[in-house]
Amino acid sequence: MPQVRIIAKNFMDMVAALPAMKLDILYENPFICEAILRSLPPLAKKYVTQMLFSEGSITAKLLEEWVLPDGSTKHRVSIDRLVQLRIFTESVESGRKKEKSYRLNPTFQANLQKRITTGGVLPREPMPPSLTGRLPSLEELEKYALEQWECFLLHLINSGQAEKVTSFSPSMMRVFQRGLLSQSKDPKLTESGFQFLLMETNAQLWYIIREYISNSEERGVDPVDLISFLLELSFHMTGKAYNLNTLTDVQRSTLSDLADLGLVKLQKGRNDSWFIPTKLATNLSVSLADSSTRKQGSIVVETNFRVYEYSASKLHSEILRLFSRVEYHLPNLIVAAITKENLYGAFENGITADQIVSFLQQNAHPRVAQRTPSVPENVTDQIRLWETDLNRVEMSPAHLYDDFHSREVFEAACDLAREWSGLLWEDSDKMRVVVKAEIHQNMRDFIRGQRQ
Amino acid sequence: MATLPSKPIADDVSLLVVLIDTNPFFWSTSSSSLNFHQFVSHVLVFLDLIVRLSQLNQIVVIATGHNTCDYIYDSSLDTDQVTGEGELPALYSFVLQRLEEFVNKDEKLGAKQDGLSEKRVSSLLSGSLSMALCYIQRVFRSGPLHPQPRILCLQGSPDGSEQYVSIMNAIFSAQRSMVPIDCCYVGSHNSAFLQQASYITGGVYVKPQHLEGLYQYLATVFAVDLHSRSFLQLPRPAGVDFRASCFCHKTTIDMGYVCSVCLSIFCKHHDKCSTCGSVFGKAQLDAASDRKRKASES
Repeated sequence: MPQVRIIAKNFMDMVAALPAMKLDILYENPFICEAILRSLPPLAKKYVTQMLFSEGSITAKLLEEWVLPDGSTKHRVSIDRLVQLRIFTESVESGRKKEKSYRLNPTFQANLQKRITTGGVLPREPMPPSLTGRLPSLEELEKYALEQWECFLLHLINSGQAEKVTSFSPSMMRVFQRGLLSQSKDPKLTESGFQFLLMETNAQLWYIIREYISNSEERGVDPVDLISFLLELSFHMTGKAYNLNTLTDVQRSTLSDLADLGLVKLQKGRNDSWFIPTKLATNLSVSLADSSTRKQGSIVVETNFRVYEYSASKLHSEILRLFSRVEYHLPNLIVAAITKENLYGAFENGITADQIVSFLQQNAHPRVAQRTPSVPENVTDQIRLWETDLNRVEMSPAHLYDDFHSREVFEAACDLAREWSGLLWEDSDKMRVVVKAEIHQNMRDFIRGQRQ
Repeated sequence: MATLPSKPIADDVSLLVVLIDTNPFFWSTSSSSLNFHQFVSHVLVFLDLIVRLSQLNQIVVIATGHNTCDYIYDSSLDTDQVTGEGELPALYSFVLQRLEEFVNKDEKLGAKQDGLSEKRVSSLLSGSLSMALCYIQRVFRSGPLHPQPRILCLQGSPDGSEQYVSIMNAIFSAQRSMVPIDCCYVGSHNSAFLQQASYITGGVYVKPQHLEGLYQYLATVFAVDLHSRSFLQLPRPAGVDFRASCFCHKTTIDMGYVCSVCLSIFCKHHDKCSTCGSVFGKAQLDAASDRKRKASES
């Protein structure tokens, strides 16, 4: 997984940042309680399950006794997260011992109990097939979702390749592009933009959704509504039709945006219209946790620096173009070559060799993925070598001394610099020496002392 | 060169194989505060909890009967998404229905063999353990990405010493593939087999003191994923019954004879090993007693 800095580690940070009152409103929905439970760190999950059916509070000391000394940091992180999300309410006993104790948020507890023992009904019932006629199959739906998502990405990176137009307003688009494209006249992908493209779909999706939510207030939509709707959406069943009438106006307008992202497919019947959640939508709450989902790759790298990608997608060819020369574009195959020039271009744009290598490894075709290494070693080594080529010159601030009045002083100065391990270069013929800037002060003091 | 290690999806995603004891002999005679109905309802809530903890969690339920065992539920197969009738979630009604079918089948099989089988009251733990391990092996081979598997035995009936060899074999193969076997024993006495299983595979053995709170035990101890276990204080075994069963009469023994070639265990001295066929010399103990007898005769 490429280490990506532009994405905040977790969507839940955003939820945790919500004001207390709004969080309490969120917990009134059992689905959100479950989604939030899933997003918790493993230890926090354990505490919640353990306390789920017990009334009353548990002292902090007792909680800590469950953990071995090794896990105390994890324990603290979990407790902090629980308190942040207001799942745990902290109370300090007024007695003389002043012990801290925690109890579960009553609304959260009650809703989760209900959810686990009785299951609870889905937020809305799917429409009977008699009303909707034939619905798209799961494969068709997945294809549709990926197409929509790719189309959106192509728009995002301002590529002229996109065929369809999105209904996102240019201003909305600009919000998404903030941070990914440089803000000049001729927008170019920035470093983080490249990293974004190399991320896996779910992580990209969350990045966009986060931007979408953080922008919602400007559009006059309450972020809480949005968050709860999105979390709710992930509990709908893929491929089933749900009536649009069951939604509020805000949700309906959100839905048309989500359709552009490929999260849902909108369809119109004779009387009703409905939406069909795709896999992207139902996977939303999976990716809340830090786990990554399986994805089948399609890239084969040969030892002669040829890259074959079995894909018809324009987005893939755009991504390959970031660091290689695309040679042929066949209906189901992209052939590219990794060259020094292209890689230099990539490095200049801020992509690192490790990112490229891990991208190639992660997207390896199942046939080559079984082999170790999945990407030939000579290719990975060469990519890394080319990168270090660029870093041949290392800059460090330094000071040059010359005009020493005697060789002794010069030698002594060199020795001193060596002692402080700050000697960068010396030329004993012309009696010149370059030392690191850090030890300049010491050198100056020393030479002054010598002069007297 | 760094290669991608075959790593499970995430540390805290688990594949839980639950073995449920449905032995009618145990449940009809169990005098404890827990009957089969209550037991199942505790377990169902627990199963539901596991599935809800992470969308990637996977559970497999195997029923251990008296005469047979069978897969009851596998959350990775989309069981045509029957929406539960009434208030119960789909999982509950599906598992209950399959359990009922299974118990009926088990009973029929038992009726057929009634004349043949003796008074055997244990359940077919070796069978269900093997099924669980087979399932886990298949998951291991499915690709580099798989959830972390573990087995949970919910057992009540006493050990069947005639299954000693096959159960020990299952335990060792679980140990080899690093699959911990957790046990929650709801019967009256401790189960030596399960104690050993947990001890050898690094699982947790729990014998709940208050059976009416079974769910709490399950949720507290067994809902934790393997990764988090490494920094949690979990119940440690008070003592493990390491006694073995002999191969000849299947009785549990403290002291016995061990074949020096294949390590088979016997309660009495034999001339030949029944497993590997090696010929034994005369046992010291017997020789000594022979001499004594001779001495008394003379």
